[in-house]
Amino acid sequence: MTDLTDARPAVGPTDPGARALEAALAEKSALLHEVDHRVKNNLQLIASLILLQCRRTSDEAAQAALKRVLERVNAVATVHRRLFQGDPLQFDVADFVRDLTGDLAAAAGRDDLEIVLDLDHASIPASSAAAFALVFNELLGNALRHAFPMGRAGRIAVSLADTGSACVLTIADDGVGMAGHTPAFGSMIVKLLCQQLRAELQVTDAQPGARVTVTVPMTMGDKHS
Amino acid sequence: MTDTAPLQVLIVEDEALLAEELDCLVRDAGLRDIGRAMSAAEAVELACTLTPDLALVDVHLKDGPTGVEAARLIAEDCGAVVLFMTANVRRLPEDFAGACGVIGKPYSEQAVRTALRYLETCLRDGRAPGPPPLGLSLSPRFAVLWGGGLAAAG
Repeated sequence: MTDLTDARPAVGPTDPGARALEAALAEKSALLHEVDHRVKNNLQLIASLILLQCRRTSDEAAQAALKRVLERVNAVATVHRRLFQGDPLQFDVADFVRDLTGDLAAAAGRDDLEIVLDLDHASIPASSAAAFALVFNELLGNALRHAFPMGRAGRIAVSLADTGSACVLTIADDGVGMAGHTPAFGSMIVKLLCQQLRAELQVTDAQPGARVTVTVPMTMGDKHS
Repeated sequence: MTDTAPLQVLIVEDEALLAEELDCLVRDAGLRDIGRAMSAAEAVELACTLTPDLALVDVHLKDGPTGVEAARLIAEDCGAVVLFMTANVRRLPEDFAGACGVIGKPYSEQAVRTALRYLETCLRDGRAPGPPPLGLSLSPRFAVLWGGGLAAAG
């Protein structure tokens, strides 16, 4: 949470206008903090609800579907855990990618998969963060789940580059490639959110494996705020 | 690890569903949940009566932002190791009120599982098996005590 009062220009403490401004900033900062706190807690509540229901579900297909939903909620929750750590309007993509990759890799529990990160510092508008998070979650989750059938070891490389005007995310694996299972709903999420982000999506059969590149503009223009 | 008695855990959380799910995670990790408190007074009383090894403490409780003071009493008077689980990571005092560390909300199920496993080792061996896992930040005092290295809080 950024304390907005920290950013105020140095003004004389006796200036009544400055004091009023300071009070207004402090109030705004407190309100922002309160909202942030509620969002975080409510996301935690949603995750707990899904997990509790999952524990009481015996049907395997239903359990798997609930886990996919939980994973997506977690991706958005990770965004909110990371927001407000610096500039409240910017979202640090590298830190987020590192965080979510660690989580997804630990959840996958595959010691035979090597995940290599090569991350430039890059940020996108905070308003794009949730959409980006869901796209990344689908792409990496897909590679972890489908590119390497049990027993097949391999490597997933995740890289992030800052071109000055865009943030380029690449996920490349040396798994079973495009012939692998592509879940329809996950693809739909990726397609729709890339459109929303005005991002370019490139999927190539790398033989072996697959390579997906998402190029996200660093500013959203006037379409989103 | 030769000591096989499961660690005893107290959960201090005023959101009933979060507490319920945490209970499950604690049991999944092979630890024993011995109590649940929703307010600071209840937490301190339970901690001193049940003497848990580990207390998982939220900052905002039923009676307000009282988790920090409750944590201090639980750590100092009841002898439990306290771990904060809060959406208010940046509002924690510099000394973590005697707590060993913090997990920021919203946390993932995986982060809690990994952190519980890590802390179980720290508590049993009196030293960390390595740097803390992603999602868990140790307090400066416990980072030195357990030799787990400092992780950036937040």
